[in-house]
Formats: sequence, structure tokens, C-alpha cells
Amino acid sequence: MSDCHAPSVLIRSEITREKMSLIALAGQPNVGKSTLFNLFTGLNQHVGNWPGKTVERREGNFAIDGRQIGLVDLPGTYSLTANSPEEVIARDFILRERPDIVVAVVNTASLERSLYLVAELVTLPVPLIVALNMMDVAEQEGIHVESKVLEAALGVPVVPMSATCTTGIGNLLQVISETLDRHHVSCPRQPEVRADHRAALGEILRHITGCVPEPYPTEWVALKLLEGDAEITRTMQSILPMEKWGAVSSLLRQHDDALLAVASGRYEWIERMVRAAVIQPKRGQVSWTNQIDLWATHPIGGLAILAGILGLVFWLTFTIGSPIQDWLDTWAVGGLSKLASQLLANSPFWLKGSIVDGVLGGAGAVLTFLPIMIIFFAAFGLLEDTGYMARAAYVMDNLMHLMGLHGKSFLPLFLGFGCNVPAIMGTRVIDSKPARFLTILIAPLVPCSARMAVVAFLAPAFFGPKALLVSWLLVLLSMIILVLSGTLLNKIIFKGQRSAFIMEMPLYHLPNARTISLLVWQRSLSFVKKAGTNILAMALAVWALSVLPGGNFNDSYLVKFGKWIEPVGRWMGLDWRLTVALIASFPAKENAIATLGVIFGSNPSAGLAQKLTSTYSTASALSFLVATMLFIPCTATVAAIRQETNSWAWTLLNLGLLLAITIAISSGVYHLALGLGL
Amino acid sequence: MLEQLLTEIRNGGTLDITKLAVRLGTSSQLIEAMLEHLERNGLIQSYVSCEAGCQGCNLQEACNLQKGSTVRLWQSKSNE
Repeated sequence: MSDCHAPSVLIRSEITREKMSLIALAGQPNVGKSTLFNLFTGLNQHVGNWPGKTVERREGNFAIDGRQIGLVDLPGTYSLTANSPEEVIARDFILRERPDIVVAVVNTASLERSLYLVAELVTLPVPLIVALNMMDVAEQEGIHVESKVLEAALGVPVVPMSATCTTGIGNLLQVISETLDRHHVSCPRQPEVRADHRAALGEILRHITGCVPEPYPTEWVALKLLEGDAEITRTMQSILPMEKWGAVSSLLRQHDDALLAVASGRYEWIERMVRAAVIQPKRGQVSWTNQIDLWATHPIGGLAILAGILGLVFWLTFTIGSPIQDWLDTWAVGGLSKLASQLLANSPFWLKGSIVDGVLGGAGAVLTFLPIMIIFFAAFGLLEDTGYMARAAYVMDNLMHLMGLHGKSFLPLFLGFGCNVPAIMGTRVIDSKPARFLTILIAPLVPCSARMAVVAFLAPAFFGPKALLVSWLLVLLSMIILVLSGTLLNKIIFKGQRSAFIMEMPLYHLPNARTISLLVWQRSLSFVKKAGTNILAMALAVWALSVLPGGNFNDSYLVKFGKWIEPVGRWMGLDWRLTVALIASFPAKENAIATLGVIFGSNPSAGLAQKLTSTYSTASALSFLVATMLFIPCTATVAAIRQETNSWAWTLLNLGLLLAITIAISSGVYHLALGLGL
Repeated sequence: MLEQLLTEIRNGGTLDITKLAVRLGTSSQLIEAMLEHLERNGLIQSYVSCEAGCQGCNLQEACNLQKGSTVRLWQSKSNE
């Protein structure tokens, strides 16, 4: 006589078992289970909720050779451990209703994922059929599954099929019919628990035998206890006599790592099944990927390739984009300015000035580098669509680890290449507050696409054929400063601590022209919108400051402010105009161009680039570009820093640090260039 | 096998799935399945670039996270 108090609770299905057989469809989400359910039941289905749950319950019926069969579509689950309401519903239904058959629907193209649920289902006392769904998808991907071999390995019937293509359905119905008639005797091969936990499992089994409530199988309950299943643990704790629970509880404490060991046993079982039955895809694409990755992810070779690709992008930009930009600057903006000047000759000075110098000279100048942006967007879209960007991230992370930078800082820094705002937001992945704040400090040093666009416009203007080398060196300089700052902070704050990342490397594939075109279109549109709003407003504001208070440029607020701030700029070799342009880049980086456009005025005879070339020395130009790369970030990024640090002190400290770095490095570069006679 | 994978993640450094699969003597697909398992059980967390927040980013309309072309990273949660 047992001394346990085992309750017996059964949930009755709405399907009347006396009149029809009952089949349950089980499977992970998105394996085509519902498609199969609809195919079987057609309009004979009922949708409601599981008792006491908000999880959808779908039941229906169909017939095989006149035999009525009830079908229940169980919620999609990854396992049968009580991690979610869906998993509890699925396992309780199987254990309490004891359907005549459970059909486990698996995704043939991804057996490694799908078979985990099967590894749990084979331990339950119900007949099991494995429906190898999505065979068509698997075949397309070059994956071939030997269903008979898998059947022999699993010890349960396996039916290849495709619910979408309605192939193999007849076969599945036949196997269901045969199983109901007991023509199939299943002898499933079950996963094993790791050797060092087997004795504990046996002990638990011994303690609970005779106490396990209906309808739970004793072996299954023992395994779930070892696995740390919360619901089963609660149930057994309330049922087992105190001394027995004490013994079980002590065993569970000694084997608190069994959760992984049990799951690990299932994955080893899955690996055996897959190894036996799956013929691997034609590895052409994979081996092609591996061959390229031998170089592309090499710690040194990968960096060299990355530097080469970056150089190529600049080369394309300057070779194709710069001449178009130059033409637009001289002829389109210049022509329009000439036309506007003639049309507005008799208009008030503020109207003519705001249109010609503000709108055309400022925002118009920014719009002329749209061709450069399009080439940039297309080049990076191409690299992303082929799968290369993940490799670039990987080799960059390797470099940062070599330099001792904290691994967790990598993700936000990587995001910064697109835009510094998500980089700052991305620091949320760092749980340690000091580490997070310090990453925020250095994140704006990553050259964002707006800074790169400004450099792409100015470098050819200042350096002509040497623009490619200068741009490349500017990116390198930014990265060196970032890595040095990171290394220093890592040594001081993180004490060399490391954390790990695993990165998914997509297969290389041919780029899709439509995807890249769409990306270029959307990003260009976004850029034009920005030029038409923020940058236009800034250009008009700069123009207004350049004419107020009396309409004379030389007495204007802008010039007075520029002259006032000029001494700081002089350290870096910048005159008041470049200093004002640098400060104007605070709302948005592109404003530097717009401001220079307003200050130098639009002139049909020469574009802005030509005027800049004739005005500034190489040393000043170099210093200005370095300052542009390192200067305090745009207002959106500063707002993100304030939001993420929730501190004005940290935000101001960040801006102060970046300003100090900018002045120090730009001054150094300027004086070095002067020393070299540039 | 799952324990080995978790140990590799906790040991530090950057790993890619293909190389990890070779090191553990299994397939990339099984490594991916195990990573997802560890994530479901709260032992590691995954990040998709830009997912953390794009407020204020002038390129946010142009991003298409569903395309899956962004870099995906997995990281241990318990070695802090």
C-alpha cells in the first residue's frame, strides 16, 4: 500500500473517444503543423481556447476509409518542459488524454532543431509517428533525408511529406491507419542521460515509485525532476512523504547541473539520428564560404582585406561620385544661383540672400553630394547583402580583443559605423554600469556614415588624387584613437576582463540587385529629407547670422562669433570659417558643408570645392578633416548619451573628452604637417 | 555537448559557428539549435544589431531587420 497522496485529474477532450480515434499533432512553431491540420480537417474544425488558458485550441475531425478520427492541433512547443503555458498544455494533453497516436511534425530542412521535441515524445507512452514535413524545402536546400534509415534509427514510423505541396499525405494517412490497427509495433530508441547522473536518476526513480499520480509515467517524472521541471517538482513535493522528498531533494541539489546533462543527452541523440539519416547538402556554397573565410576571418589577413575593401569603396566614390558632385556643385547649384540672382534682382535683400546663399549655397551644397552618398550606400549594401559585413565585424572584434578592449563593447562600437545613435543605445548589452558608461564615452569616435560623407566630399576638394589615401588614413586614425582609448579604459576599469561572443556567419551569396536598390533608394530618400529639413533650417540660420544685424557680412554676428572663437581654431590651423563650420556640424555633421557653402557664397564660376582648394593649405585641410572625424557627435547622439547615462554630468564629460581629443589630435596633425612642409 | 558549448562561450573571445562546430566535432546546424536551446533556457542571450534601439537614427526607416542581414551575436548571461 502506498503512503503517497496521488491526485488523479483528467482533462476531457471535446472529442468523444467512444466514437472516434484521437490523434494529436505536435511540433515546434513554424514547422507546418497547422497546414497539415487544415489539410486533414478542412471545414470540420473548431477553434476555441484551452481550459483556463488564452492559448488557442484547434480540434477537428476527418475520416480514413470510413473510420472517424478526431484531430487536436497542440500548441507549437520546443520541448515538453514546463517553460511556457504551451508546453504544459501539450504535455498534459498527451499524458492525460492519451491520444491513440501523436504525429510529431518536423521540419526536414532543420532536423537538428525539430528533433528535440521528438527526443522528448519518444519517452512518453503513446504511439508516435514522425511526419517529415517540408521535404520540398529540404530538397531545394540540397538536404536529403533517408526516411527509412531515420525510421530504423528512431524506432518509430517516419513519413516523408510536404503539407504545402500536398505530397506524402496519402502515405501518412496509411501509416496512421496501420498504427491504429496496431500493424506498427514501435520500439523507440530513447536518449540517454549522461553517465554521472544515471545513478541519481535510478535513486530518484526508486524514491518516487508508487507515489507518482496518474497519468504521469514514473520514469518520465523522475527525468523531469532531474531536469528541474518546476511544475513536476511542485507536484511531487506536495505528494511525496517528507522523508522521501528530503532524499529526492538532496539528490537534486547534488545534481543541479543535470538540466544541461539531460538536454545534452538529447542533443547527442539528435546528432546520432541526423548523422545516420541525413545526407549533407552539396557543400559547394558552404565550402566556397569556408574557403573565402580562411582569409576573410584571418586575424591579420582579414584586417588587410577589410582595409582593402574600404580603400576600394573610397576609390569608387572618388572615381565615380566626385566628378558628378563637382559638376552638380559648379553647374547645377551655380546655374540655379545665377538664375535665382537674376530673377530676384529686384527683391528684398533678405529674400534673395536666403534663397541664393542660404537655400542654394547651404542646403544645395549638401545635396550635391547625394551621388557620393548613393555610391556609399550601394557599396555597403552590396557588402552586407553578400554576407561580408559579418566577417568585417568578426575581424574587428579580433583586433579589439588583441588590443585588450572589453568584448562587450564591440557590438555598440560596430553599430556606430552606421550611426552613433544606435551605438549608444546598443551599450544596453553591457550589464556593468562603469563598463557601459566608458563604452558610451568612446562610441562617438567610430566614424559614422554622416562623418564619412563629409570626408568623402571634402577630401577630393582638398587633396585631389591623394583623397583616397587621405580618407583611408583618416579612418585608420579614428580607429587607432578608439582602440587606444578603449585599451586604456580596459586596463584601468575592466582589469583585462574578457567576455565571449558567438557570431553567426551567414553563407556568402550573390547580392540581390532589388534588395540593394531598395536600400539605396530608402537611405537616399532619408538623406534628402534630412537635407530638406534639418540641414535647410541650419543653412538658413547660418545665413541669417551672416547678415544680421545690419546686412553687412563683415559686421555680422557670424563673423563676430567666428573671430571670437578663432583663437581655439588657430591651435588646429583653422581660420574662423572652418571653426564655425566645425561648430555648425553639431546639429548634424553635414551642416559643415552647408555652413561653408553659405560662408563662401554660391558662385556660378566656381563650386564650393574649388573655392576651398584655393583658400586652404594642406596642413589646415588635413587638420579640419581630422577634427571632423573626431569632433563631438551630432545632437541626436548627444541626446542618446543623456538618455542612456541619465546624467548631464556624464554627457558633458563625454563632450569635454571628445573636444579635448579633437583639439589635441588636430593640433598635433596640423603642426606635424607644417613640420613636413605640407 | 551542451556543457562544452556553454564552456566555450564562457571562456571568452569571439567565435564563429563554423569554427565552433569543428572544435566540438559536430555540425553548424546542431550548434545553432543548441544556442537557441540555451537562449530559451535563459543561459545565454542573443543580440541582433540595431535591435537595441534606433530612436533618433536618420537611417531607421531604411533598415529592414526582418531581412536578417544584420549581424547576430550570442553571449553568456551567467558569467558576469
